[in-house]
Amino acid sequence: MTEPSAARAWAVIGLFERPEDLLRAAARLRGSPLGRVQAYTPYPVHHLDEALGLRRSPLGGMVFVMGVLGALTAFAFQYWMSAVDYPIVTGGKSPRSWQAFVPITFEVMVLFATLTAGLGMLFLLNRLPDIFHPMLASRAMEKITRDRFALALESSGGQGVDVDAAKKVILELGAQEVEVLPLPAPAPAAPLNFLLGLGGALVAACVLAGYSTYWVIKLYPELPPMSHMERQPRLNAQSPSGFFKDGRGMRPAPVGSVARGHRPYLIKTPEEAARLVNPLPRTTETMEKGRVLYAVYCRVCHGFLGDGRTTLTSAYGAKPADLRIKRLALAPDGTIYHAIMVGKNAMPSYAYELKEDERWAVIHYLRALQRAQDARESDIP
Amino acid sequence: MRIAALGALGAVGAALSYFAAGPARFWVNWIVWMLFLASVGLGALFLVGLEHLFIARWSVPLRRTAERVSGLVVPAGVAAVAALGSLRVLYPWTRPEAAAKAVLAAKSAWLNVPFFCARTLLCAGIWAFSYRFFLGGSLSQDASKDPAMNLRARRFAPVFMSLFAVTVTITAFDWISSLQPEWYSDIFGVYLFAGVFLSGLAGTAAAVLHLSGRGRLPGVRGDHLYNLGALIFAFTVFWSYIAFAQYMLIWYGNLPEEIVWYKSRVEGRWLPVILFLALLRFAVPFAALAARDAKKDGRRLLWVAWLVLFSHWLDLYWLVYPELGIGPRFSWPEFSFALMFVCAGLAWMRRQLTLGEDMPTGDPFLKEGLEFRL
Repeated sequence: MTEPSAARAWAVIGLFERPEDLLRAAARLRGSPLGRVQAYTPYPVHHLDEALGLRRSPLGGMVFVMGVLGALTAFAFQYWMSAVDYPIVTGGKSPRSWQAFVPITFEVMVLFATLTAGLGMLFLLNRLPDIFHPMLASRAMEKITRDRFALALESSGGQGVDVDAAKKVILELGAQEVEVLPLPAPAPAAPLNFLLGLGGALVAACVLAGYSTYWVIKLYPELPPMSHMERQPRLNAQSPSGFFKDGRGMRPAPVGSVARGHRPYLIKTPEEAARLVNPLPRTTETMEKGRVLYAVYCRVCHGFLGDGRTTLTSAYGAKPADLRIKRLALAPDGTIYHAIMVGKNAMPSYAYELKEDERWAVIHYLRALQRAQDARESDIP
Repeated sequence: MRIAALGALGAVGAALSYFAAGPARFWVNWIVWMLFLASVGLGALFLVGLEHLFIARWSVPLRRTAERVSGLVVPAGVAAVAALGSLRVLYPWTRPEAAAKAVLAAKSAWLNVPFFCARTLLCAGIWAFSYRFFLGGSLSQDASKDPAMNLRARRFAPVFMSLFAVTVTITAFDWISSLQPEWYSDIFGVYLFAGVFLSGLAGTAAAVLHLSGRGRLPGVRGDHLYNLGALIFAFTVFWSYIAFAQYMLIWYGNLPEEIVWYKSRVEGRWLPVILFLALLRFAVPFAALAARDAKKDGRRLLWVAWLVLFSHWLDLYWLVYPELGIGPRFSWPEFSFALMFVCAGLAWMRRQLTLGEDMPTGDPFLKEGLEFRL
């Protein structure tokens, strides 16, 4: 019993009527040996941080760093998508067009920065919701949240505040009322009600959201989204259109225009085509390419082995050629090339399916097929 | 005296350039500088109108300075009327062959010489009237202390704002856009407005710091400077936003009648100019004013203000000069014009800074303005 516990408290709170009084008092009380000086106000009071001698908030720096990070992230991500991972030329622009990346870079920068500012301020720096703060147990809190400005001397390190000395100082500074929060720090009663209320509100919100979602989906199973782009006047491929005089939606190419990379095929007869020479070297790569293309375009009719045993049913009607027969095995590459280009009997032209070097690769592979069906002992390595 | 001598030297050089470098180059420089003076004056006038419109208190101690700077609209208006002599030299729509172009023929109801002259006179008249209205009322209040002036200014402010928006847009479309009359951009008026308000703020900030450095604005503190700095910072970003928005849409659309304007402004030797402009007008002021304390720092605000003024000149140069088709040049004609107009502007400002008291001492809100804390 060296010292009565009533003489020491967790906090001594003084209430002021005007923010100016609070500012003046805070500046005078700053650095007081009695305890930690804290201010409680119903709204942010400018220059209170200076009066209390608080250090500069790190929030500005955090926001800056996160904003820069957001901008870099968005720019790098767009660049990687548009120029590295899946480059597509859109609107005749280079996939590396930095101009197109700027709006999203800007927006993501703002997003990172504002989220950092809001969440960092609320949770990281202010540690909200601080619902077990001892001040919430005080009577003064009710007035602080309305129209009073409080300055408190609080215990730091748990040894408490000297009540008499603190009261004297705070009253000298012009406080209208003084309240003492005893030691040990009181636990506010409000949190239980608050938590119950919060939980109840959350449950109610979930129930409401669930029921309304259920009924909206039940009553309006189909809500068309924004369809103005779908419904806008436009030209469809292969469809008529009243926009042009000839009634056609697709426009004929201008006279004399040549498609990019297109080379006209001027040979008319197989005999003429016989002069063509396969320009591709007979390498493993070419063979592999020919094998894949044969499987995609030729196999369905000419069969796995080129023997004309189609995988289609008899309903197909046509009888695909057996590519192993002597006439075809001896035919020059050019003749087969011509058949691919212009078609033969029921076989249509494959000029659009296969590019020039692909046709020649298929012919190389076809030669291998023919040879494989008629192999000699000397062919075995 | 030195200003007068240097200005006269510049005027001689400018006059010589009419004959030595050709009338086109003379008028291009004239228009750039006319628009520059008009921008600073109009921006300051906008700040004055803003104060009355929103019944702002913080800016009352600075209002007399803004009113004085806004006086630049008077020489700018005179220069604009004189610049009407450039119509036949620079503006393609005045030439007889314009009638043959369908686009220009369709625009001839707006782009014709009599109507253009009428619009210029009207704009100059509106600026001069608004300036006289705000300044005259404010000066008479110094002696009479009559608060009725505040009410009159407050009633006129919304009218002024509408007139301001219309006249700035007309100025942008008439004097700059119509140099290339086939080109159009709806946002261009806002683009010029961003530069106008920015340079008006910078002009006001420079004048405020000049006066307070000589102890003529007692009571004007870091809090007031902070607001000026914050506005400069905000409109630095606003200008960049508008400038890039206009560029990106036109770049994306890539329509011949739109892109041609940028073709002659971001390619070849103009590319370094626009990059330099982006650096001076966005990157440097942004970095310089981003921190909170930087906006209260008078010395920093002063150099940023001069930088903003210079970059507004560069912006106007970049907007107007490419029409000459000779690339970016800064030779003796440009230097003479700079000398002449800067000296004329400074001489005019020296006269303006003697008008009335340094602060609107008759304004009932002056005390509140001086007590302003952030």
